Amino acid sequence: MERYILSLAGRERISLILIFLTFLFLGGGLVKLQLIDHSELAAQSEENRIRVVPITPRRGRVYDRENRIIIDNRPSYTVSVVASEEVRDQTLPNLAELISLDTLQIRRRIKKNMVSPYQPAPVKRDIPFEAVAVLEEQNEKFPGVSYRMERVRQYADSLGAEVVTGHVGDASPEELEQRGLENLRLGSIIGKKGLERQYDPLLRGIEGTAYIEVFASGQIRGAYEGREGIEAVPGADLTLTLDIDVQKACIQALDTFCCGAIVALDPRTGGVLAMTSYPSYDANIFSSVIPESLWTAISTDTTHPLLNRPLSGQYPPGSTVKFITVGAALEEHLITPTSLLKPCYGGYRFGNRVFRCWNPSGHGALNAAHSLEQSCDVFMYQLGQKMGVDVLSEYYDKCGFGEKTGIDIPGEVAGLNPNSRYYDERYGKNKWTAGLVLNNSIGQGEILCTPLQLAQFYCGLANKGVVYRPHVVKKVVYADGKVTNTAPEEILRLPFSKGTMDVLLEGLRLVVEGEHGTARSLRNPDYSIGGKTGTAQNPHGLEHSLFVGVAPLEAPEIIVCAVVENAGHGSEVAAPVVGQVIRAYMSKRLARDEVASLNGGGQP
Amino acid sequence: MLNYRDLDWKLIGAVLLLSLIGVLLIMSAQYYAESEYRQAFYARQLLWLLFALIAFAVVIHLPLRLFDVGAYLLYGISLALLIMVLIFGSSRLGDANRFFTFGPISLAPSDIAKIAFVLAISRFFAYTKLPVTSKRRLAVSAMMCVIPVALILKQPDLGTALVFFVVLFALWFWSGLSPGYLFLILSPLVSLVAASHWLSWAIYFAVLLIIIGLVRPGAVMGIFTVVLNLAFGIITPFMWGRMADYQKLRILTFLDPGRDPRGAGYQIIQSKISIGSGGIFGKGFLSGSQTRLEFLPERHTDFVFSVLGEEFGLWGSMIVLFLFLYIFYRAIRIAVRCRSRFASNIVVGAMAILLFQFVINVGMTLGFMPVTGLALPLLSYGGTALVLAWTLVGLIVSADYRWQEY
Repeated sequence: MERYILSLAGRERISLILIFLTFLFLGGGLVKLQLIDHSELAAQSEENRIRVVPITPRRGRVYDRENRIIIDNRPSYTVSVVASEEVRDQTLPNLAELISLDTLQIRRRIKKNMVSPYQPAPVKRDIPFEAVAVLEEQNEKFPGVSYRMERVRQYADSLGAEVVTGHVGDASPEELEQRGLENLRLGSIIGKKGLERQYDPLLRGIEGTAYIEVFASGQIRGAYEGREGIEAVPGADLTLTLDIDVQKACIQALDTFCCGAIVALDPRTGGVLAMTSYPSYDANIFSSVIPESLWTAISTDTTHPLLNRPLSGQYPPGSTVKFITVGAALEEHLITPTSLLKPCYGGYRFGNRVFRCWNPSGHGALNAAHSLEQSCDVFMYQLGQKMGVDVLSEYYDKCGFGEKTGIDIPGEVAGLNPNSRYYDERYGKNKWTAGLVLNNSIGQGEILCTPLQLAQFYCGLANKGVVYRPHVVKKVVYADGKVTNTAPEEILRLPFSKGTMDVLLEGLRLVVEGEHGTARSLRNPDYSIGGKTGTAQNPHGLEHSLFVGVAPLEAPEIIVCAVVENAGHGSEVAAPVVGQVIRAYMSKRLARDEVASLNGGGQP
Repeated sequence: MLNYRDLDWKLIGAVLLLSLIGVLLIMSAQYYAESEYRQAFYARQLLWLLFALIAFAVVIHLPLRLFDVGAYLLYGISLALLIMVLIFGSSRLGDANRFFTFGPISLAPSDIAKIAFVLAISRFFAYTKLPVTSKRRLAVSAMMCVIPVALILKQPDLGTALVFFVVLFALWFWSGLSPGYLFLILSPLVSLVAASHWLSWAIYFAVLLIIIGLVRPGAVMGIFTVVLNLAFGIITPFMWGRMADYQKLRILTFLDPGRDPRGAGYQIIQSKISIGSGGIFGKGFLSGSQTRLEFLPERHTDFVFSVLGEEFGLWGSMIVLFLFLYIFYRAIRIAVRCRSRFASNIVVGAMAILLFQFVINVGMTLGFMPVTGLALPLLSYGGTALVLAWTLVGLIVSADYRWQEY
């Protein structure tokens, strides 16, 4: 049995060896952590206690041309949850009750917005101030819950200017990748549409950084002195060319209709005085979290409130483009200003088809200016036949159709200006008849344009041929006080000589002022208006009603283009709409003139 | 009266130094706490140190024979207390009755049982005439261990229960059982762990057979070992199924701290960060950010060593390590020198308790060991633990002083 027994000396030796091995083991562990892994673990300990807090700069404000606020910022409270501190069965149920969400929704949002379990994950934006008060007073009921104040966008009420302003929202992963935006992370507020998107880098400013020291609980201990923060640079303020009064007149004028669009431009600069898509949405809903039901309602609404009709709605221009038909004929010397064409008896035979004039009783024989006054289709058919598809298309092209205007708002479309190559591709060579040009000559058929393109063309008419690029931002005021003004940029010159322009302008005048003008209803004693009616056939329903107005005719300052969908004849619907908008502008201008003349009258 | 000059003052000095370092670390751990109660932990520890010193003084003044004679009585009383605590005791954690509470003081009978067990098992091995490898000797000593362990596991307190086994194995070894034979006895436990995967268990079993061939323990013992190992290898998966969730979690978290970053894994991760970020010289007393900002959990109790690592760095931690090393080294020398087998046994038993808790606790803070809830002797906050540690040290010092007695 001796062999199972160890001597005392043996026991002592084994014991001492065991103890030394143990210490080697523990000492080795210390050396590993404190020498080898030191820098990594020291960094982790710093990461633990120092929280880098981005300081979101104040987003730039936006004003109208008279410095009235259009987009402002207001305080809003966002509630967040630190996942590692949330107490099960307590935090979320209490919070859910307070901010009227259910615990499952909260949990989903925490998961979605969580950067790390030790940092607050935003759960709900824009909670009511009463809820903030509860969080403050009963904070022991909400372990792991914090809130912070942030500024959210506040859009002036009932302007219907969302097509211009657009809105902001949380940056999505795709957007971060696509736009390659610096200084941004998931959930950062960025411009999604309109000028909020176009001018996002200017409006957003430059993010600052603060370093703070926190407890394990996430509770802030105070500023971290070891590193100096960087101050945020506020975003630039924008002054728009928009006039709030004209803008309001737009939505009032469209109020009784289903859908439509209005664009008002200043022909002297290309500045947008007003622009609306009706119906519109309230950009403020995007400032806080949109309830799903509201989003569904908006996005499935058959009147498409999210559609930007002035820029991306494509309509047949109808008779409003007869100026191009007539202008092209004059330029190509197919007619002279005094030529009378074959009389109109309410229709025109082409091959074995009869193309109708809108007025079945006919207009008789007309010259160029009167054909515009009465919008005679038969006169245009004859011109179209004389010049052919491609000549007409070329003039459309030179007048800016089929091409984006380059306005400083994203989402614009080009429209469609068909020529023979287009028809060849569409129908095949020789599979289409020259009769298509007859449709094109009255702005029907396949030609499509946006209300903005149409308004831009009329700017050229009113401006003796010069077209400036449409734009909404007039002035940018940077945080450091630097100011840049938008200079008018000539982008187009209409392809019409002075003689031709005179005829066209006479036509423009006669539509309102002429004995047989189609928009005589707009005549008024205070100022002179020119314009042109249009009725665009719509294969899906009632015709769209169009009108483009110019005022004051002697020295035009405002062009208003209105499209009222499925509303009937231009003279009956769109013309009075335009009349209202022009009145809003002109009455203000006349009042200003009066004050000026009174003041001036006092001078010797 | 004692001749004080003959006491082992170096050993006493090392223990006292560790106790005072503990007080400093507890102070740092709760220095920035909001509640004054927490801030005053170190003062309370200092008061407890006074009680501990009194207990130490009493122990060294009592003749060792008294402990020898009273060992079984004390063992019986401690068993009775363990039963009583299950019935009348209170708990702090809400899951187990571990304490008797008298006003502000709470007493854990398992601490008393540790001392009683050391004394009783030392006495048994000192006087038994049974041969070292006799089945009866092994069985009786194992029973002496299993009874208190069973009562403690009812509480349940796995860490403390393990301490009893460690004392048993230490004294089996110290009473002469050769390491090979001891391994065969312990082999079923290794089986338990190795059987977590069939391959590791197969390899282990092959190794076991080779060791049996080398040790040649006799037919009965050999067959017994093989059968027991087979049984444990099969039982393991079944045992795993019966373990409490928190025990499973502790083991799993130990194996992979990342799997539960908010629970026990979080504690280990933060402890490693604290120690590692201390570097060579540490961040300075009261300046550890992990400690001050409460990232380190259980700063004044289980993870007090991490506070040391963070604020005093490698050199501070090494000093504490060497102080412990010195204590254990001295204990071995004393145990060898003692003429009385009882005295020699209690020194080894006392040392085994301190060494085991020390290794498990420091290993835990370094991320080597699972979170068992065993505090660091002498340094962690806890009054009864401090009194217990000084009592054990008192037994060691007393045995040294009386080394010539039979």
